[in-house]
Amino acid sequence: MRTYAKWLVVAVLVAAVYAVLWPRQAATPAEQEALAEGRTLIVYWDRHSGHEHEARRALIDEFNRSQDKVYVRAVPVGYNALMEKLLTSISGGAPPDICAIDGTIMAQLVGQGCFTPIEDFMARCPYLEQEDFFEYVWPMVAFDGHVWGIPTTTDTYCLLWNKNAFRKAGLDPERPPQTLDELEEYAARLTVRTQTGFEQIGFLPWQPWDLTHMWGLLFGGTWYDQVTGQMVCADDPALLRMLRWQRSFAIDPNSTTNAPYAMDPEKIMSFQKGFGDYMSANNQFYAGKLAMITEGEWQVTFIPKYAPELDWGVAPIPTPAGAEPRAYSSTCVMDCVPQGCRHPEAAWAFLEWFNSPRPGGTSPASDYNYAIHNIPTRPEEAAQQRFMADPKFKVFVEILMERETVSSPVTPAAQFMSDEIERQRERMVFRKTTPEQALRDIQRTVNDQLARVRKLLERSGP
Amino acid sequence: MSRADLRHLRNGLLFASPYIAGFLVFVLYPIAASLYYSLCQFNVINPPIWVGLENYQILFTQDPLFWKALYNTLFFTAFSVPLSLVFSLSLAILLNQKVRGMAAYRTVFFLPSIVPIVASAVLWLWVLNPESGLINGMLRQFLGVDGPGWIADEHWAKPSLVLMSLWSVGGAMVIFLAGLADVPQVLYEVADIDGAGRWTKFRHVTLPMLTPTILFNLIMGLINAFQYFTQVYVMTGGKGGPVDSTMFYALYLYRNSFYYLRMGYASAMAWLLFLVILAATVLLLATSKRWVHYHGE
Amino acid sequence: MASRRHSHWRPHVVLAITSLLFLTPFVWMLSTSLKHESRIFPKPGKPPQWIPTTERLDDAGRRLVVYEGREGVETGRDERGRHLIEIQGETIAAWPEDFEVRQKVGLHWRNYPDAFRRIDFFRNLRNTLFICFTYVIGTVLSSSLVAYSFARIPWRGRNVMFVLVLSTMMLPYQVTLIPLFAVYSKLGWVGTFKPLVIPAFFGVPFYIFLLRQFFLGVPEDLSAAARIDGCNEFGIYWRIIVPLSKPALATTALFTFLFEWGDFLYPLVFLQDERQYTLALALQQFQSQHESAWGPLMAMSTVITIPIIILFFFTQRTFIQGITLTGLKG
Repeated sequence: MRTYAKWLVVAVLVAAVYAVLWPRQAATPAEQEALAEGRTLIVYWDRHSGHEHEARRALIDEFNRSQDKVYVRAVPVGYNALMEKLLTSISGGAPPDICAIDGTIMAQLVGQGCFTPIEDFMARCPYLEQEDFFEYVWPMVAFDGHVWGIPTTTDTYCLLWNKNAFRKAGLDPERPPQTLDELEEYAARLTVRTQTGFEQIGFLPWQPWDLTHMWGLLFGGTWYDQVTGQMVCADDPALLRMLRWQRSFAIDPNSTTNAPYAMDPEKIMSFQKGFGDYMSANNQFYAGKLAMITEGEWQVTFIPKYAPELDWGVAPIPTPAGAEPRAYSSTCVMDCVPQGCRHPEAAWAFLEWFNSPRPGGTSPASDYNYAIHNIPTRPEEAAQQRFMADPKFKVFVEILMERETVSSPVTPAAQFMSDEIERQRERMVFRKTTPEQALRDIQRTVNDQLARVRKLLERSGP
Repeated sequence: MSRADLRHLRNGLLFASPYIAGFLVFVLYPIAASLYYSLCQFNVINPPIWVGLENYQILFTQDPLFWKALYNTLFFTAFSVPLSLVFSLSLAILLNQKVRGMAAYRTVFFLPSIVPIVASAVLWLWVLNPESGLINGMLRQFLGVDGPGWIADEHWAKPSLVLMSLWSVGGAMVIFLAGLADVPQVLYEVADIDGAGRWTKFRHVTLPMLTPTILFNLIMGLINAFQYFTQVYVMTGGKGGPVDSTMFYALYLYRNSFYYLRMGYASAMAWLLFLVILAATVLLLATSKRWVHYHGE
Repeated sequence: MASRRHSHWRPHVVLAITSLLFLTPFVWMLSTSLKHESRIFPKPGKPPQWIPTTERLDDAGRRLVVYEGREGVETGRDERGRHLIEIQGETIAAWPEDFEVRQKVGLHWRNYPDAFRRIDFFRNLRNTLFICFTYVIGTVLSSSLVAYSFARIPWRGRNVMFVLVLSTMMLPYQVTLIPLFAVYSKLGWVGTFKPLVIPAFFGVPFYIFLLRQFFLGVPEDLSAAARIDGCNEFGIYWRIIVPLSKPALATTALFTFLFEWGDFLYPLVFLQDERQYTLALALQQFQSQHESAWGPLMAMSTVITIPIIILFFFTQRTFIQGITLTGLKG
């Protein structure tokens, strides 16, 4: 009897625990109400989490309140395992209705039929024509004869400099380097060495992350031929010059003519390892470890937040000699409708609302851009007063408006190419390979990968 | 087979039936599918296309990064597994006393296994920081020498990771503690009567009784070391730098699978790794008869 | 005896020092959770702060600073943005890196309520507990049964089967995730908790292996005696093996709970609604594309970690209980 009593107690305990823990209905009261009203429920996956997601959610809530046909459920997916989640869901037949992703991912997945073309939807909407968007943004969403997503935010890079560091080095804090030669000269003067390493480095071309692709384009080189769909970087003289220029920042032990700004690569690596969290008061630029850096427009908001004491300036990146002034944008974030979406009309209803101006006002998309401090993808919106009001932000927007903008090519091997370029650049800086060999290797491996991917796509059929 | 044998077979299969059922439903298809993918080109979304052994061929003959990744992982495994084993065993023995305060010690050594990786990583980045980190700072202060570049230096990055892996011995330590708890007191009493000292007791009672647990930690240590990935990713950003020195096999596999969408290629890598681990495990199991004492047999 | 005492203190010293090292991530996590954002990362060239501090202010609310070894008060800024410091009657203008603000010990408790406000804590907690509990029950029950089969029943082919079980742990998850998702999708389990808990009831290889090793350690005569007494296999399992394997079973339960508590990938891939998220997933809400809210993140991490520590501390006895086999002989 005693054992039975014991087991009874255990069973009751377990039942009690589960009574508390058993998962309840997943839908929120608002969602249940919406479903009761007969609305179509669609799911929106946001690649952002944190405050960027909050901004998006606020707008989604506004949409839900503004009409009674569609209800959008926002799910913050984050970056950490986005690809796993997206790929498993699409291939497993359980995709979201709308998904926010960026250009590199789009390029890789579109060829595989991951997304639903939306040009028919867009044709119905007066505010979403090709001409409404920045010229360079359109190829990121429209290729192979279809439009695959609506670009919502974009970015660009400029040169930021620490005015205080300039003062200390005896440079005019209001005068940034105008040419690449000046940039080098300033870099040499702004590098402060200590016994074991550095207190401050003037400039590093691969900060805050590898930007070799950008530099190549700014030098006037060509990485990829859009027409033939092949990498053509090997032996490109501008790209060679760019790589040699990057390499010149690292001392060559076998050479007697190192640049005045050249430094020991091992020491550079050590110094870099000491950089704090990118988004914190200890960011390498905020903390004065790097006097000049190429950065994006989001810094206009983040610097006042994390480093309010920092006295800094922003100017277009100096154009290398012999090249045309260009602006560079790495990618854009876009909303797209995955293949297998069950409610494309409802999804489109939201997308149309999000990207169209409200009566007499701004579009939710531009509100979103303002909230997260990125640049809208439409010149008309980017020219809004609130974006142009801040003189620093204005510099970023202006170069996009005024210069020819170049960006990453749209290929199904976008991620591979970017990684391979970074790898080879790093090896070259450490003199494990030469610039010529690096370019040849990049061309070869990326073309191999492209060929493989395309062959597979071909054989998979339309 | 005799009737007893048949009965044993029936019982054996019966007890194992939960696993068998689960295997058939949840495990068989994914494993078979991944083997199939390894013989295909597969970009996840479109149906796989048969290419035979092409992926394997490319791995062996055209991919230098494959060999580098294999080397990196073997290096790490060769050092991390024995060191972790010895360290966790020593800790378990030291902490297996019914002395006050041992409970606190045991908790402390188990802590790193509980603290989220994101917190540990930031801390380790500081410890190993070449400029201003704990280790180099102390080296400079007390010994007047410049420490190495640790995770930023291509020659020291892997040793840094080996050092970090010693951090997570808490799990193995707890398993050893459970194993030590299983050693019958009787044996110690008998040894005492025979006048055995501490070391003799350890060598002739504790160690032999622990061999089943040692085998477990050894094999699991191997299996995990060969697939070591998360900590590498968090500490180095997942790019394999500097200069490919931290491009571990599982990391390279991961990049191929979800980033480059070469799932077929990644599957081939996975199956090669599988064969290596399987060979090592079977070898260990086969030779285990010599040194492992199950006192149930 | 002198020699015995002598040989005892050395390991303790080593233990004490090593344990300090092992405490550091937890202490750092705790300390960071009580710091204001600006103090979380060490200033360039300086070591991290272990004790959270805040700025010291004088009665008028001005910051107390030290400039070139002398104490002063910050009074304002000049037109170039430099800080004006009043020291012994004279006013100096200086840049932030040239002076230090005096600090006092101050705990920034705000991180905690802040953290709770960012996520739906109790809902996430409930989800996580549900998954953990169920997973523990399922694993312990099923894995012990299967381990019994491999350890205590001499059947043909069990070694091959055992190696098969082990080998399923040797294939990296990246290549099986897609087909696995397809299986669950076909079953209609995607978007529910089922993929996260039901497989536990079918045996988990790691614990099957662990328990097999322990079960093999129970003397065969016990089983033999029980069989002679007419006990069937399940009886032997339930009445002899299980009671004797408490440390191993406790370890299984603890590890399973721990793993599920922090598991991130499977919940992310298989759950479709934020309201189903577990605590590990919710931690993501503290990280945006370029920034992490370190203070609240560490606060929440501390909150999530402490129950496990308490759980471990109080259940240790089950691991180290000695076993006596008297009374079962003969």
